[in-house]
Amino acid sequence: MSAIGDILHLLITANLWQATLAAAILLLLPALGGTISERSGVVNIAMEGMMLTGAFFGVAADLAWHNPWLATGVAMLAGALMAMVHAVVSIQFRADQIVSGIAINIFAAGLTVFLINRIYGLQDVGHVDQSALLPNINVPGLDQIPFLGKVFFQQNVIVYVALVLLVLTHLVLFRTRLGLRIRAVGEHPQAADTAGINVFAIRYGAVVTSGLLSGLSGAFLAIGISNTFVPNMTDGRGYIALAAMIFGKWTPFGAFVACLIFGLGQAIYDNNSIIHISPYLLSMLPYLLTLIVLAGLVGRSIPPAADGLPYVPGSE
Amino acid sequence: MVRRLTTGLAMPLGSVLLAFVLGGLIVAATGGNPFSAYAALVCGGFGIGCAGGENPGLQISNTIVFVIPLITAGIAVALPFRAGLFNIGAEGQLLAGSIACTAIGIKFSSLPSPILLPMVLVGGMVGGALWAGVAGVLKATIGAHEVVTTIMMNYIAQWFLRYLIVGGPLQLAPGTSKSSPIGAGARLATLLPNDNSLIILGLPSSVFRVHTGLLIALAAAAGFAFLLWRTSLGYEIRAVGQSQKAARYAGISVRRTIIVTMLIAGGFAGLAGAIEIAGVDHNLTDKYFSDTTGFDAIAVALLGLGSAVGIVLAAILFGALHAGGSVMQADAGISGNLVFILQALILFSIAANFVGAIRQRIPGLGRPTALPPDLPPAAPMMTEAAAPPTEA
Repeated sequence: MSAIGDILHLLITANLWQATLAAAILLLLPALGGTISERSGVVNIAMEGMMLTGAFFGVAADLAWHNPWLATGVAMLAGALMAMVHAVVSIQFRADQIVSGIAINIFAAGLTVFLINRIYGLQDVGHVDQSALLPNINVPGLDQIPFLGKVFFQQNVIVYVALVLLVLTHLVLFRTRLGLRIRAVGEHPQAADTAGINVFAIRYGAVVTSGLLSGLSGAFLAIGISNTFVPNMTDGRGYIALAAMIFGKWTPFGAFVACLIFGLGQAIYDNNSIIHISPYLLSMLPYLLTLIVLAGLVGRSIPPAADGLPYVPGSE
Repeated sequence: MVRRLTTGLAMPLGSVLLAFVLGGLIVAATGGNPFSAYAALVCGGFGIGCAGGENPGLQISNTIVFVIPLITAGIAVALPFRAGLFNIGAEGQLLAGSIACTAIGIKFSSLPSPILLPMVLVGGMVGGALWAGVAGVLKATIGAHEVVTTIMMNYIAQWFLRYLIVGGPLQLAPGTSKSSPIGAGARLATLLPNDNSLIILGLPSSVFRVHTGLLIALAAAAGFAFLLWRTSLGYEIRAVGQSQKAARYAGISVRRTIIVTMLIAGGFAGLAGAIEIAGVDHNLTDKYFSDTTGFDAIAVALLGLGSAVGIVLAAILFGALHAGGSVMQADAGISGNLVFILQALILFSIAANFVGAIRQRIPGLGRPTALPPDLPPAAPMMTEAAAPPTEA
């Protein structure tokens, strides 16, 4: 009983919801990336690797130049380069997109530790100065609103950026010609091609965008929330983002709701000194919930029709 | 026949070669010496040409210890490939197997070996089978994609394992992150006499960790080949992998075949986990938090082209890479993580059939009939294989 009481008590603190939103944003960025990529018909389970690569190069750049904005740009570029590999292999060479995704994740895990070893020796990577971290920004005035001010207007700069990107992704996907093209390519590439849409260009763009967003999330993790890089620091978040994408039925706001649920779990986990449930059991929740959604208990989750199918021009 | 054989081998061998060349370039680009790195890797993996005073016998023994679970886990990925299913959940199934093995091995620790050893091994297989069965049932009944469900099951197994041995019911003592050891009767014997009477290559035979799990793994490979090619179930699995529609017309229950395939695959992965506990570690430790055997198994299955012999050969390669990684770190100062880079490059190369692309561009090599060698059907996401099977 006391555990339930403790959770209820925790749920009315602004700190918890502030942490929930931050944790959700960390997942939202790669989930948006995955959504865009899969809407265009390219299965992407490589967010984990792209995020990890972004985190590493973000820290490396920030240590070198002491500029979080430049470092974030480098992180996004690194994520995009990994995405480009996935794009070339799965669009150009029509490889199995799941194998390619797994390979990206293994490659990223290996490469980051390999590079730590080459660049920093066997020591720690080192810590980024407080002044070179992505800053928290309190929105003047609004941050003084009781409860909501702390939750929504005392956040890291990336949180605001991500919320804008969320709305933008939704608008682009469902309210613009480009979005229509992306979805057409993901549902029926042959028809899209006939209608004069460049299937390859749309898919390349979508996959690279997923890399940019995952890299941004990696930067947020490494030089926003943390201040250093440790091996495998993404710790499955790219896969939780994948789960959020499915949970959200391949829509940006659906993914955001899923991220909030998973983020709440993370925030409770981080405040576990108050409650007495094993944090490890709590960590299973995102995956269990996604299985339940997949099992059709909360409505079916159906991917875009051409998701995962390489496009061969001229094929039926 | 010879040409078919060489065409079939060109892809895996070429992929490995390509990966090593690219890996060497990465080493060179970061200021390392790829030749000394690879020399140390060969020494660590096969005990050949060791410069740092390593004992060749010990290195080979280490490699075999890595190879054993890779064979059975590789089968766990290869068998579903044949049915058009992509099992990336071998890792979770392996962990489920090692958890079941450990729990049984602790609970019944006083039982004698002839009873307890089969119990823990079968228990591990059942654990892995149940774990994979979830994905199989979800696929067969609702059409939930097995790639996604097995990813979820991987993470559920990982966190469940942490719960069990960090503060949970299997924890040895507060503050530790390991379980109690399994009973003596639950352990697999080492292959060599476990005393100091026999000296091999200057070392007492008790230091060689190679264990009798090797025989189980080889038997599993033979069993896999038999199942696939000599039984009606194997025929059904292959038929479903070729075309669900055709299989259905032939009277095969697609749903049943999918579930049974996943159960058997999970059993093989669970066996890998049980063998690791019974043969090597004797308890669950935090080593299993970062275990990658189930993911390596994907590379093993693909590189081995889904055949039993291929899987054993590919497992030897990856086992040698893993065993060699630590020697490379010590002797050549190159991070053992290069092994993961090589593994990823091999996967890219196989998946994209770079070798085939290169062959087609070199005159004389690329014959007009040079079709891609027969890959196991790597379950495309939304083809017929992924749609919910409907049965009349």
